[in-house]
Amino acid sequence: MNAKGVALLGVAKWYGKVPAVQGVDLEVAPGEMVSLLGPSGCGKTTTLRMIAGLEVPDAGEIRIGGTRANEVPPWRRNIGMVFQNYALFPHKTVAENIGYGLVMRRRPRAEIATRVADAMRQVRLEGLEDRIPSQLSGGQRQRVALARALVTRPDVLLFDEPLAALDRKLREQMQVEIRLLQREVGITTIFVTHDQDEALTLSDRIVVMEEGRIVQAGTPDEIYERPRSHFVSDFIGMMNAMRGTATGQGAGGLLVRLAGGRELAVPEAAAATGSAVEIMLRPEKVQVNPPQAEGLVLAQGRVAHIVYLGAVTYLHVTVEGGATMLAMQANGQGMPAPRLGDAVTLGWRAADMVCFAAP
Amino acid sequence: MTARRLLGAYVAVVMLFLALPIAVVIPSAFGEGNALAFPPQGFSLKWFAAILERPALLAAAANSAAIAAVATGVSLVVGTLSAFALRRYAFPGRGALMALFMAPLVFPAIVLAAAIAMVLAPMGLVRNFWGLVLAHIVVVLPYVVRTVSATLAEVDRAWEEAALTLGASPWRGFTSVTLPLLRPGLVAGATFSLIISFDEFTISLFLVGSGMMTLPIEMYNYAEYSLDPVLAAVSTLLILLTTAAVLAVERTVGLGKQFS
Repeated sequence: MNAKGVALLGVAKWYGKVPAVQGVDLEVAPGEMVSLLGPSGCGKTTTLRMIAGLEVPDAGEIRIGGTRANEVPPWRRNIGMVFQNYALFPHKTVAENIGYGLVMRRRPRAEIATRVADAMRQVRLEGLEDRIPSQLSGGQRQRVALARALVTRPDVLLFDEPLAALDRKLREQMQVEIRLLQREVGITTIFVTHDQDEALTLSDRIVVMEEGRIVQAGTPDEIYERPRSHFVSDFIGMMNAMRGTATGQGAGGLLVRLAGGRELAVPEAAAATGSAVEIMLRPEKVQVNPPQAEGLVLAQGRVAHIVYLGAVTYLHVTVEGGATMLAMQANGQGMPAPRLGDAVTLGWRAADMVCFAAP
Repeated sequence: MTARRLLGAYVAVVMLFLALPIAVVIPSAFGEGNALAFPPQGFSLKWFAAILERPALLAAAANSAAIAAVATGVSLVVGTLSAFALRRYAFPGRGALMALFMAPLVFPAIVLAAAIAMVLAPMGLVRNFWGLVLAHIVVVLPYVVRTVSATLAEVDRAWEEAALTLGASPWRGFTSVTLPLLRPGLVAGATFSLIISFDEFTISLFLVGSGMMTLPIEMYNYAEYSLDPVLAAVSTLLILLTTAAVLAVERTVGLGKQFS
């Protein structure tokens, strides 16, 4: 497969006077899978539709395979797109849906038949050729949409929240299937979602968007472990947020005086002295009654609330100064489970803290 | 229980009232007597055969059929395009335009008739086939716009966009995806249009003349000097034709949906 890269250079789009996308710069390497992640209205879908050619940018340039594509209509872009709710043609059979792109490309009938059959095998839909979409389950429709988008061997594959309509189990299963298929085919893929788990599961790289702009782009672990803003850390997963004031650089890193008066040193962080900052700490980094307290930042507290989720348990702990901290414990590791009202010691590594400007 | 029975009786009376003309006309067509009479005397098909000996009626029927066909054809194209513009695009004056398209539905036919005659007369389009076609287009267009735009509301934009991303030009996307999905609306619109045009009286009355008659007006003229069962025979054929058309539409696309 000759995968092509996609590049956006200062792309912007307004709806009337409302800016939907405000100067997006993004490079997607050939064969890479990138997620556009953000809340509804952040411009992710508009960005995807501009790559598809369904919307025309008001400013900036879209390049596919290194050449400007702004003026190329969608039907000449050689893309494959999987829509929200799949957009399967309701009056055509499964085989006709999948073969549609090949018919439009005027391929010989015999070739269409073989390629449709191959595509159906690839997504495990054999035997359903003559069904119509309304006779299929959600997962099967999803597979038809995927096969229809892939059978034309597009340069770029685009997904617009395609899994939103599926229940959780099926969604997780489809995420893995899509990822495996994407790797196997090696196609450049851009995936729009508002679901952080989906972005983490599927992507080589996650692009977080807010109000029409990219706020951070990076590998899933970069985005999760080293978020650069409250928005990103809050959007991806759960967090402990500790507000304070930067008081200068110390031996252990940036010194931050918390609202309660305690001073913490955050390694590899920087902020102007006197500025309001926020320290972010993921709940799973917080150990409860750590056996080895040496080298950890410690806090004493009392268990105020317990959320048992089967595989893990979340403890809400009220610490000195009245703040509540969230700690995640994996169950089945032989750790004694604290009970409501127990006094506990929380401990975490200084390096697990991330510091950025307070929102 | 009594309330229910009362309602049942009421419905029966209304149905009877609505069906009465049909119940009278159809048997009258099969009578042997020379005058239009109910109940008919004897049984015969001679009045159906007699239609063939009334060239004025035959010519008028041919005119009406041709007018209905052309007016329907034009309305399908114009109506579909209009429905598209009205449904798919937001533009200033859209509401006003939609009201304009629907106006012939609520306008008193006689006012419309006078207005159309006043416009067409100076153009020499009275007692003219194309004048009648134009007038009928005005009358039937709202029905086509209505049925097509009702169906278009069910056609998801995403289907058309999916076609575009799969390599279909807008025109090929329209013919391969949108048009087949619009078929129920088009069939229903065409059926209404044909029936309404064929049956149109008030407006046609202002536009017909010697040499260019439509069937309803020719039947009216005929009734003025002879009230024989030929009219009943013609009416019977019209009832059969209309019923068959409506049943066919109901079978293929479901007429009920067009009124929901």
